Amino acid sequence: MADIFLYRPHFVAFIILFLLGIYIMVVNLNLVKKLIGMYLMQTSIILFFITLAVKKDSTIPILLPSATAVTPEAYANPLPHVLMLTAIVVGVSTLGVSLAMVIALYRQYNTLEEDEILGKMK
Amino acid sequence: MIRPHDSVIVHTLARVFTPIIQLFALYVLIHGHDSPGGGFQAGTLFAASVILSIFAFGIQGSQTVLERRAIILGGIGILLYAGIGLLPLILGEEFLNYGELPIPGMEASSRRHWGILGIEIGVTIVVAATAVSIFYSLSGRGEGEGK
Amino acid sequence: MTSSLPGFLFAIPFFAAVVIPVVGFTNQKFCRPIALVALVFLSIVSVISLSEAVSHGPLSHEFGGWAPPIGIEWVVDGLSGLLMVAISIVSLIALVHAGPLVEKELPDRVIPFYSLSLLLIAALGGMVLTGDLFNLFVFLEIGSLASYVLVGVAGGRSLYSAFRYLILGTIGASLYLLGVGYLYAATGTLNMADLTQRLPEVLNSRVVLTGLLFIVFGLAIKMGLFPLHGWLPDAYTYAPDSCTPLLASVVTKVPLYAFVRIAFWIFGMATVSTQIPILVVLGWIGAVAAIVGAYLAIWQENFKRMLAYSSVSSMGLFVLGFSLGTETGFAGGLFYVLADTLMKAALFGVAGAAIYQCGASTVTDLVRLRRNMPWVLAALLISALSMVGIPPTAGFFGKWHLVVGALEAEKYFAVAAILVSSMLTALYFFRMFQRVWAEPLPLVEPHVLETPFPIKMSLGVLTFGIIALGLGSDLVMGLIFESAIPKGF
Repeated sequence: MADIFLYRPHFVAFIILFLLGIYIMVVNLNLVKKLIGMYLMQTSIILFFITLAVKKDSTIPILLPSATAVTPEAYANPLPHVLMLTAIVVGVSTLGVSLAMVIALYRQYNTLEEDEILGKMK
Repeated sequence: MIRPHDSVIVHTLARVFTPIIQLFALYVLIHGHDSPGGGFQAGTLFAASVILSIFAFGIQGSQTVLERRAIILGGIGILLYAGIGLLPLILGEEFLNYGELPIPGMEASSRRHWGILGIEIGVTIVVAATAVSIFYSLSGRGEGEGK
Repeated sequence: MTSSLPGFLFAIPFFAAVVIPVVGFTNQKFCRPIALVALVFLSIVSVISLSEAVSHGPLSHEFGGWAPPIGIEWVVDGLSGLLMVAISIVSLIALVHAGPLVEKELPDRVIPFYSLSLLLIAALGGMVLTGDLFNLFVFLEIGSLASYVLVGVAGGRSLYSAFRYLILGTIGASLYLLGVGYLYAATGTLNMADLTQRLPEVLNSRVVLTGLLFIVFGLAIKMGLFPLHGWLPDAYTYAPDSCTPLLASVVTKVPLYAFVRIAFWIFGMATVSTQIPILVVLGWIGAVAAIVGAYLAIWQENFKRMLAYSSVSSMGLFVLGFSLGTETGFAGGLFYVLADTLMKAALFGVAGAAIYQCGASTVTDLVRLRRNMPWVLAALLISALSMVGIPPTAGFFGKWHLVVGALEAEKYFAVAAILVSSMLTALYFFRMFQRVWAEPLPLVEPHVLETPFPIKMSLGVLTFGIIALGLGSDLVMGLIFESAIPKGF
């Protein structure tokens, strides 16, 4: 059980960040803090994918024109990197839409606390 | 309404840095083939340079006009992307298959190279325009929603 | 066989969604014709694709010319072709219906409305047709972002519902992505066909089990499956009336399709019922969802909120049908899904028309429909009877096949759940009928607008479709049995 901290510390980091993100989302009443938690959770998933791509003694997955022999062991797996580029873009657009919504909510109710908004809506 | 910053240092440095950032964005765009980079990153850098200059020099009054122009630019960029992608589809091959673009005098691999560059330019324009228009809609008294 | 039709199925609504803002800034009146023409083309192409797929075998389209499993592949087979036809036709009808409502509710947001609706339809089509798990996530997020904004575009009360929908929907999509990551870590591929071949060797590992559970959990949040349906009632109630038919009829069904594709085609029927018995768990959850959703709908005064809880109940019935484990149950569930797109579009369309024409938002106020709104009343009557399950509407045949499938599988709790939820559905719909027909008309009458032609046409087509689907259920069930049933039953 303790060897997961020795041999797979990146998974432990991912789990801590993921749960931290969810905890921030659940506990805080401020809308912007909820968004911070949401983005932290998405970032932890991106971290998880990238750590899947690493191989021992491998370099970045870009093929230089001067490379003569191409062995798959010398390069990190490029597929998770590409997937995560897309996931980062998706996360940023979600953040943009959610911030726009928060601004519109602020203009309407003049507060960013969830309980006050729920109170004003009644 | 974002007012101009009152420090001389910020003004001078913003004046120096904005073109440097835009040049770096162009570099990242074109070298996306051979090093980390590409369309989305370059677009974000462009938007960052525009936002830096807005923070330093303030937004002038006519914000809605600029916002509308930003959205039209975004539309043009994504039409560039969609157009380059649709051209092989209309000609019978698959969507985004750059090897079959009808450019004479080039072999398939360099057609793919130029096709990807074209798409990345479209993506850069879209991302820059979208990020700037998000910034406009967040900062002023513009519409809160909408594309 | 390779074909370029799936590429067109994506390109048509996407291109229209992109062209509409650019053209619309010159003149706003161009948005609606472009959108409707694009959707007509989309419907025609999807019907052609379905007929090709049924007669000649699944169509596949490799994006960029890269062959799978390296490249992304889009596949039109019986199941995805049927759903694509349903999505394109129902969204065309919903956008036709939305015309007068948009001009009244969102007069300065016409361009975003049409552009985002088309983007949503393109994304739903992409989710249905794709053969790659990560591509499904990308389209899931595109469609979800479009729907978050569509729910909140009216401002006011809808903004908070849209924000809550955004938070919960993003959690769901992130969990789905995490599950895809686990499956990728275990097998090394994202292509659905390739994954089907590589999974049997690694099925006993905990990674695959966790991946599947994350995927199911994430998709359940997106579907609105009880008890993860928290965003659904508020989002459907406060969304603008022009968007709700589109949102309610197709947006929750596509994650359901994704779940069916992953569970039955990738993992296989035997695996998900015996080795990793999620079908058993989902059967119970579906049964509870069907009953609880219908029960909660009885107490709602707001008509749209009542229909929202009715959607929760229907989603439970779909999941119950798919988890029965027999061919008839699966086919019945799929038929009921197709029927429900028509029924929900009609019901929410009636709700929108009622609010637009006579300001009737509660069930009691629906009595005003009796004045001079015959088309809306007919649509309300037929779609409500179909939801309850009265022949010869489509809903009856769907529930009939579900009950027959449940009896074949000897799952009597499922039979009980279907019958109890149908009785509860009858309770709240007949209460609505009583309010509409048995109450006297109020003496002081608010001004009732005349039914605009687009609303008449769309509600008429939907009503006709519900009855036609019911009368032609043999044909549709035959089509489903022939081409949309997974192996392994």
